[in-house]
Amino acid sequence: MSVIDPVSLGIIWDRLISITDETLSSLVRTSFSTNVRESYDLSCMLFDSKMRSIAQGTYSVPSFTGTAPNTVRLMLEKHPPHTLRDGDVLATNDPWIGTGHLYDINVLRPIFHRGRIVAYSLSITHLPDIGGLGFSATARQIYEEGLRLPVVKLVEQGRPNPLLFELIGLNVRVPEQTLGDFHANIACNEVAARLLVEFLDEYGLSGIDDVADAIVANSERALRAAISAMPDGSYEHAIEVEGGESSLKLAIRLDVIGDRIHADFTGTSPALNMGINVPIGYSKAFVVYAVKCVTTPAIPNNIGCVTPITVSAPENCILNALPPYPTGGRHVIGHFVNPLTMGALAQIVPDRVQAESGMMSLVNIQGRHRDGRGVSSIYFSSGGFGALKGTDGLPTMPSPSNMTGTPVEVWEDITGMTVRRKALLTDSGGAGAFRGGLGQEIELVNDTGNELTISCLAGRTQFAAQGLAGGKPGTLRACLINGAPVHPKGRYFLRPGDVLTLFEPGGGGFGAPERRDPARLAEDIREGFVSLDAARRDYGYGG
Amino acid sequence: MHRIAVDIGGTFTDCVLVDEETGAVTLHKQLTTPDDPSEAVIEGVQALLAAGTVGIEDISALVHGTTLVTNALIERKGSLTGMLVTAGMRDILDIGRERRYDLFDLRLAYPQAVVPRSLRREIPERISFNRTVTQPLDAEAVVAAARDLREQGIEAIAICFLNSFADDAHEQQAARLVRQALPELLVSVSSEVFPYIREYERWTTATMNAYVQPLVDRYISHIDDRLKAIGFGGRFYIMTSGGGMVTPATARRFPIRLLESGPAAGALMSAYHGRVGGIDNLLSFDMGGTTAKGALVRDGRPLRKYELEVARVHEFKAGSGLPAKAPVIDMIEIGAGGGSIAGIDERGVITVGPSSAGAKPGPACYGRGGTEPTLTDANLVLGYYDADSFLGGRMGLDVEAARRSIATRIAEPLGLEVIRSAWGIHEAVNERVASAFRIHASERAFDYRASSMVAFGGSGPTQAVRIAAKLNVPRVVLPPGAGVMSALGLLRSPFSFELARSQRIGVAALDDAAYGEAFGGMERNVREVLADAGLTGKAVSITRRLDMRYQGQGYELEVPAGESPDGLAAAFLDVYRAVFSPIEIDEPVEIVNWKIEAVGPEPMAGQPFRYDRDFSPGAALKGERLAYFPEDGPVLVPVLDRYRLRIGSVVDGPAIIEERESTLVLGFGDRATIDRHLNLVVDVCGVSQQ
Repeated sequence: MSVIDPVSLGIIWDRLISITDETLSSLVRTSFSTNVRESYDLSCMLFDSKMRSIAQGTYSVPSFTGTAPNTVRLMLEKHPPHTLRDGDVLATNDPWIGTGHLYDINVLRPIFHRGRIVAYSLSITHLPDIGGLGFSATARQIYEEGLRLPVVKLVEQGRPNPLLFELIGLNVRVPEQTLGDFHANIACNEVAARLLVEFLDEYGLSGIDDVADAIVANSERALRAAISAMPDGSYEHAIEVEGGESSLKLAIRLDVIGDRIHADFTGTSPALNMGINVPIGYSKAFVVYAVKCVTTPAIPNNIGCVTPITVSAPENCILNALPPYPTGGRHVIGHFVNPLTMGALAQIVPDRVQAESGMMSLVNIQGRHRDGRGVSSIYFSSGGFGALKGTDGLPTMPSPSNMTGTPVEVWEDITGMTVRRKALLTDSGGAGAFRGGLGQEIELVNDTGNELTISCLAGRTQFAAQGLAGGKPGTLRACLINGAPVHPKGRYFLRPGDVLTLFEPGGGGFGAPERRDPARLAEDIREGFVSLDAARRDYGYGG
Repeated sequence: MHRIAVDIGGTFTDCVLVDEETGAVTLHKQLTTPDDPSEAVIEGVQALLAAGTVGIEDISALVHGTTLVTNALIERKGSLTGMLVTAGMRDILDIGRERRYDLFDLRLAYPQAVVPRSLRREIPERISFNRTVTQPLDAEAVVAAARDLREQGIEAIAICFLNSFADDAHEQQAARLVRQALPELLVSVSSEVFPYIREYERWTTATMNAYVQPLVDRYISHIDDRLKAIGFGGRFYIMTSGGGMVTPATARRFPIRLLESGPAAGALMSAYHGRVGGIDNLLSFDMGGTTAKGALVRDGRPLRKYELEVARVHEFKAGSGLPAKAPVIDMIEIGAGGGSIAGIDERGVITVGPSSAGAKPGPACYGRGGTEPTLTDANLVLGYYDADSFLGGRMGLDVEAARRSIATRIAEPLGLEVIRSAWGIHEAVNERVASAFRIHASERAFDYRASSMVAFGGSGPTQAVRIAAKLNVPRVVLPPGAGVMSALGLLRSPFSFELARSQRIGVAALDDAAYGEAFGGMERNVREVLADAGLTGKAVSITRRLDMRYQGQGYELEVPAGESPDGLAAAFLDVYRAVFSPIEIDEPVEIVNWKIEAVGPEPMAGQPFRYDRDFSPGAALKGERLAYFPEDGPVLVPVLDRYRLRIGSVVDGPAIIEERESTLVLGFGDRATIDRHLNLVVDVCGVSQQ
């Protein structure tokens, strides 16, 4: 099949995506951790024999899909394809090979067909634990953050390596969950291999490289066309974000040059001895993601959506941290690359850009359940989504990542904590012609009878989500223990009966508030999304 | 005696009369009357009676399938509904799942909850996950809130408390209080509607149940009155999404279970054909004007699931609707049917659907002002349809308009020939359907390669054989009455009622007594529902199934269960290995959900339907026409009249076999035989029987 017409291409392309969707669904269904099965902190991707990413499961986290092409290349440098056998599975959690921190395991399986490698399936999940301090931002060096696995052969020709499983099991707090998730990753890639081989047999193909050429070329062409439609130029933007003791500056210069974009982070604050540093692969992923959202959102993700975009940054600025800087909470800073990039894009295509979002917070909780089981789970919760021209921001929507909140009943059952309250915050959404999405308030009570260790990993407690085109900012985030504010990136102990309260921020608004449709404002007031006082103050409501 | 089935669809109300003694059926299609659906029901019944020698007094039962509930949720035609909810949790319905269904599209859309925030009242109460009352129910607050909501004009109310799936004491107490204080209110209780863990899904289901309750209540009374007025003295039953009939009393309590009852009946009819034909595993494939629906049938029973998404607001995208928890036949829905519009996406490839030209303006070839090319236009250009005999000749088609639309929208932009573009549209749909079946089947460890397909619906037979070939399915069965399969299925559906409950318990800790206790109460409940229909004792068969997992996993596999817990762990492992991985994990196994179903006897068991009056064997060859096949381009193929084909006759492809509501396309090497039930049975070219 050297020439692929649009009839065949569409059919095969969709089929490859459906294979990754099924891979992802079997990962979720076999996982042992809430991170994966409730929060979808994961990714599944298919690569051709030339290590190009071709398709990804629909619910994959965008940052993982941005880092993955590099991950596969580096993993196969260590174990070159000619040394691999059918049934081998490679794994690593190295932040500079993988997704930027130790908690994500990258699991790669070569797919053999008629005796040779035709493709690779990669899955990535956030592990419930990997030892060290536990998932937090408080480490001063990476050595404190947990077990760092080089690229290892986790499974050899179908046989799991017992030494590795024992080693990992001894180093983590919840071995049954962590090892269970290793198995889930192994199982889902096996499903991918089976499905791909079935597909090749059905179409009588000897590989997917030719199809990949067409998929990549089509995607790249579409993205380049969209970039070409933007005026050439340099667009600068900078935002302030919270670091440890003081605030940090993130800066970007976006150069639109014909059909490509280059982003440079010069002017960004230096890396810190705190686990919020970002390896550059992770920073780049969010530039790519933001560009894709405003240019070609409907094109399924693959390497062609990445190639036209390049990124550079000074070494050891916080968006290009090198070892041994700790990176445990790299998303706390890394996620802000999305609004940073959107801010630069707003100068080019304001109608397609989203006002800033409240974004998500993450609290890692470790200890013991009332019934004696070990607990190590992440509580994800989301602030409001930023508004766009023509669209109000949705309430409580994760951004830019897609970690799903855990249901109250599931959380109470697995941790023994009580969720006393989970409610929208009136007036938290930034005012605007299109209002920012509401944040929420959550009260978690330690009813386990045991002490719990909690690590907060969040921002936006000093710098609110900004509005766009005259829209107002949303409210700030706050983390409190027994009513007293605590550091949003701190590590604390919750005694039995202690209450952790999270105020999740609102999203920014779009357009001047006085231009809001009166009918929509009246509905906001009736339903309590905007209070009467705020309506008068922010919208000039006369009723 | 005779039975009647009436299935109300979006366009047509399908009616079937069957003689219980002989199996002889009379079919009738009536235009649906959206303003008062009972209008078409009564007219349809009268038309059936007028066509034969049967009077209304000869009808022992009328079985009804309806889209009333689905439409009410999509069009927001339910009643003003209130909600009582655990203090602190009023906003769960707005907060939702906190997940984006599309990563890159920033303009996401989610449907509004059916109970507005201003009609939800928080009630002080709390029972923890381990069934401890940590805050007693505030009875005064319950009554005060209900009265206040009633003053706001609500007709129905949903009671939604945390952890009620584990312990329903507070919900039940609150329901009693509301019923005492305000007997006119219809009350839905989340732990009765569906006692599953995960508050957002359970409460959404309970609020939707409440929202449609007054409407369904009135509808059933109305139709009952009208039937009585024309002298109907038999029993009236309603079909559920799970594929069983219930009495009007049960339908009034759990109207959410009436979602998708028509398509469920179609899948049931496929299952029936499987049982009659001795086929253990089959794919049921139904394609109409806007969507295609598929279901898997194992050992004569369609597979089930317990969640359905309704009222999607963003181009049918999964995740953009409201989740309803109910036992439903596990169907895939694909936004592709005869009216689906073809276009070119950003990738430069042909896509079909999900937007549809509907009945107005309809496909370009209908000549009603449509200019977008649809699947029907492609099938006409390919020569599969005839411009003069479409829908039994009731509707002339404009081939030139079809060709023009495909040329303008597809062929010219892509630099392809019109005929190749039409083929691309046809084939894109086939691949999408095959792909959806494939994912669906392998997620459920269902080996489609060894199965057969039963195809029906207006567009199903045109696509079916080609789809079967893609799936390596060797045989396709096309029963007579393809246009009214759901109505026929209503006549084959037994009484049934299923309960499912979340209750987590380790297999190791489970003894006979605990197991018996867990299923015992549920069995009493399902038996009560069937007793209401007069079925008791041995007339009722009980099936038990368990959702199981390794402790700590979040998703479960369904394992068949018996009267004792022996061998459950081994049974779980068998299923786990088949679905996921041969690697065994050293973790304890637990039960998460308990399911029990009571089923009554199959109506008219052993009595096949007889369609003799439509069929008169004779010269079946109607003529010849040019049809396109990718291997050979356009070739002259014979066109046959299905109603004149004799039992035992054989048709070799390429050929086209026409009936009133559908057209079968046979390619090179395909062979169709008429079996003794008048089914067309196609042996698919190149796929060997296993």
